[in-house]
Amino acid sequence: MLNTNIPTLHVDHLQKNFGKFQALKNITFDIYPGEVFGFIGPNGAGKSTTIRTILGILRASGGKATIFGKDVFKDAVDIHKRIAYVPGDVYLWPNLTGGEIIDLLLKLGHSHHTRRTSQLIELFQLDPTKKARTYSKGNRQKVALIAAFSTDADFYIFDEPTSGLDPLNEEVFQNEVLKLKEAGKSVLLSSHILSEVEKMCDRIGIIKNGEVVETGSLDEMRHLTRTVIKVKTQLPTPELETLPGVHNAVMGNNQTLTLSVDSEYLENTMSYLSQKQIISIQATPPTLEDLFMRYYGSTNEVDRREK
Amino acid sequence: MKSEKFQKTFFLTKFSFKRDWLKLSIWSVVLIGLFVGVAAKFNGLYGSKAAIDQIIKTLKSPAMVSLFGKMPNGPYTSADVFASEMTVFMAIIAAIMNYYFIIHNTRGEEESGILEMIQAHAVGRLSNLTAALLESFILNFGIGLIYAVGLQFANLTGTNANGNFLLGLGLGAVGFMFASIAAVIAQLTDNSRTATILSYLVFGIMYIGRMITDVSHPKYTWFIPMGWVEKLSTYKNNNWIPVFMMLGLSVILVTLAFYLNSHRDIGSGLIATRPGRAKASAFLRGPISLFWRLNRVSIIVWFLGIMILGATYGSVFNTIGDILKTNPMLKQLLNTKAINAANVLIIKEFIAILMIVFAALALIPGLSLINYLKTGETKGYLEIIHSTRTSRTKLYFSLFGIATITSIAVLFAGIYGLYAGGNAVMNHHIAMSVFMRGFYGYLSPLLVMLGISAFLIGWLPKLTSLNYGYLVLAFFVQYFGKLLKLPDWTEKITPFGFIKHVPVSNFDVATFWWQIAIAVILVIIGYIGYRRRDLIIN
Repeated sequence: MLNTNIPTLHVDHLQKNFGKFQALKNITFDIYPGEVFGFIGPNGAGKSTTIRTILGILRASGGKATIFGKDVFKDAVDIHKRIAYVPGDVYLWPNLTGGEIIDLLLKLGHSHHTRRTSQLIELFQLDPTKKARTYSKGNRQKVALIAAFSTDADFYIFDEPTSGLDPLNEEVFQNEVLKLKEAGKSVLLSSHILSEVEKMCDRIGIIKNGEVVETGSLDEMRHLTRTVIKVKTQLPTPELETLPGVHNAVMGNNQTLTLSVDSEYLENTMSYLSQKQIISIQATPPTLEDLFMRYYGSTNEVDRREK
Repeated sequence: MKSEKFQKTFFLTKFSFKRDWLKLSIWSVVLIGLFVGVAAKFNGLYGSKAAIDQIIKTLKSPAMVSLFGKMPNGPYTSADVFASEMTVFMAIIAAIMNYYFIIHNTRGEEESGILEMIQAHAVGRLSNLTAALLESFILNFGIGLIYAVGLQFANLTGTNANGNFLLGLGLGAVGFMFASIAAVIAQLTDNSRTATILSYLVFGIMYIGRMITDVSHPKYTWFIPMGWVEKLSTYKNNNWIPVFMMLGLSVILVTLAFYLNSHRDIGSGLIATRPGRAKASAFLRGPISLFWRLNRVSIIVWFLGIMILGATYGSVFNTIGDILKTNPMLKQLLNTKAINAANVLIIKEFIAILMIVFAALALIPGLSLINYLKTGETKGYLEIIHSTRTSRTKLYFSLFGIATITSIAVLFAGIYGLYAGGNAVMNHHIAMSVFMRGFYGYLSPLLVMLGISAFLIGWLPKLTSLNYGYLVLAFFVQYFGKLLKLPDWTEKITPFGFIKHVPVSNFDVATFWWQIAIAVILVIIGYIGYRRRDLIIN
């Protein structure tokens, strides 16, 4: 069995400045073998900069990042022998065909076109005889994905890999990632398609303005936020609004009350409600979108108010 | 313009000027500075009758005719000398400038997808092409007018207003003619690379055509559009007919470009991209083979093109190396052996001038290859390679190696062409070893130039194109230095000024080694920078 205590990727207080601009302020997270890590944040938060830094394409200004225990900049070549990467914007040489590029990328990793490669070309429905200049964004992504999936690496990095894929291909992608996970590989999946992350990732890191503000499993994170409860009671609940940890209580039609409750006050609130003779109750755990909005929605509101 | 097809043309033209202002300014300033700057010096350089007579003798020699065009009949003034030295040269630079802007702004915009975005608005089908042509029209005739006004102020002996405006606007017209050639070719191919290669092919054929006809039958130069600019006969006959011919041809070509453009789909060309192999060949396996695969067409085109150019220059050796033709009196004064020796010397002098032409041309593909470390990086093509086990060291030295081999091979192709072409027509052969002296001599400055680019890539990647400017400067100083009587120190500002006058002189081993040492140091320093810096993406 793989030793899951040693992280594949270890990022500790990573910083990156471009001149005076601080692109990464404090990035800290780990990825372990057999784990799919979702890296979420809006455009410009620093996702791609983080990835390029851990790939050794950019040189960190501060902090530390290691993959397989090796320094990401100094030992880049060594590390790259065991990783596969799909960039966010895939640029391919316009006068080569997709098939040629896939093979070239495999050979650059000292691997070669196998049955699995052909199988992946089939699965993703790519026409490998076309020149790259005629490919759409989705097709260019497929070229990089096929090369990555047919590489036998230990750590896979995908930077917004599905932004140009159709739903069918997206499913193929998700299945392939699942297989990697089962094989005990580590996967870093940067995305802003939250449903995809929610479905696939074991743990999530939320990045905001160059800082990882939260990491953990979706379940762990749910504790940080509020559960939405829709409840109908026999007796009126006048004190509800004054209870600690209760927010946005709104009376809807049918005497149905909607409220959000902080996780730590859930028990307290429930016992209050049960005294009021519950007729019906429905609790919705927070979705990743709610979590995400909790971090991002607030500043947007502040921004709007300031304007 | 009211027609649907030209909606928003003027808006796009204005936008083009806003977008390109820096490039437009640099080109204009360099061209005008060169032209007017030289004009301003000319009264001092070739003011006296003796100086004029001497330079005319040089310019009338077949070697100079092959480079600068046929002189009209005398008597001559400073202004005549100026016109015959500058006309063809400025036309060549105008071609480079116009090819760049037209292909970049039409096919280039289409390729990058920008045109698609623009065309989705209330913009006519032909508006972008028209805007690019209008921009180039204004650029060429703007520069042409400033040339004319500059000549008025330079007030060369023998000048007149009619001639000044003829030369200025004639150069404007030849520039626009090249713009319309590029506009047609940009419709044929579906990518800007091929469009550029094809455009230069047309240019090369016209250049060789005008060279051969100039030396043998100047009448036939009328058949070659590029030769029309020589027929202006500025200050002598002030012939405006060629200007109208160039404008007429431009109108025909622009109409053709419009026709082709409205009969094709966006993103496609008349020459379609064919599907290719589904799998890579066994040969395509690493960075070196990738860069070869990406550039093999242009490398082969350069190699063969320069070899043909060399052979063409060589084919005029018998005319050049025949002093009896220009001076029959010598037959009584010298014996056959002495005459042969004198002939060979003239040819060697001619080769020495051609060496800088070949060296500059050989450096263009070399510099562009090594600069791919930067252009491929900013455009994102190399990101995926950087994520593989391919090290920066390997990429850097692979590209430097390919660039060096390409430049050296192209230089050799030119010299070999010269040798083969020359000996095919001459009775008294010149040994290959004489030609090789030129080749060996130019190796070290070639490497220094490549080293400078390697250094810039490592430390100042934003300034990599600066080295092209340095190359142009080096070419100008070496090519025109003697004719313009530039001060001696100007030679020493580029590596080409330090090598001996090969192949007239012997190859100087000492210079070779210290220049190679400088090149090696530049490459190593560049490497240190490249290994430790951030890669620039987007």
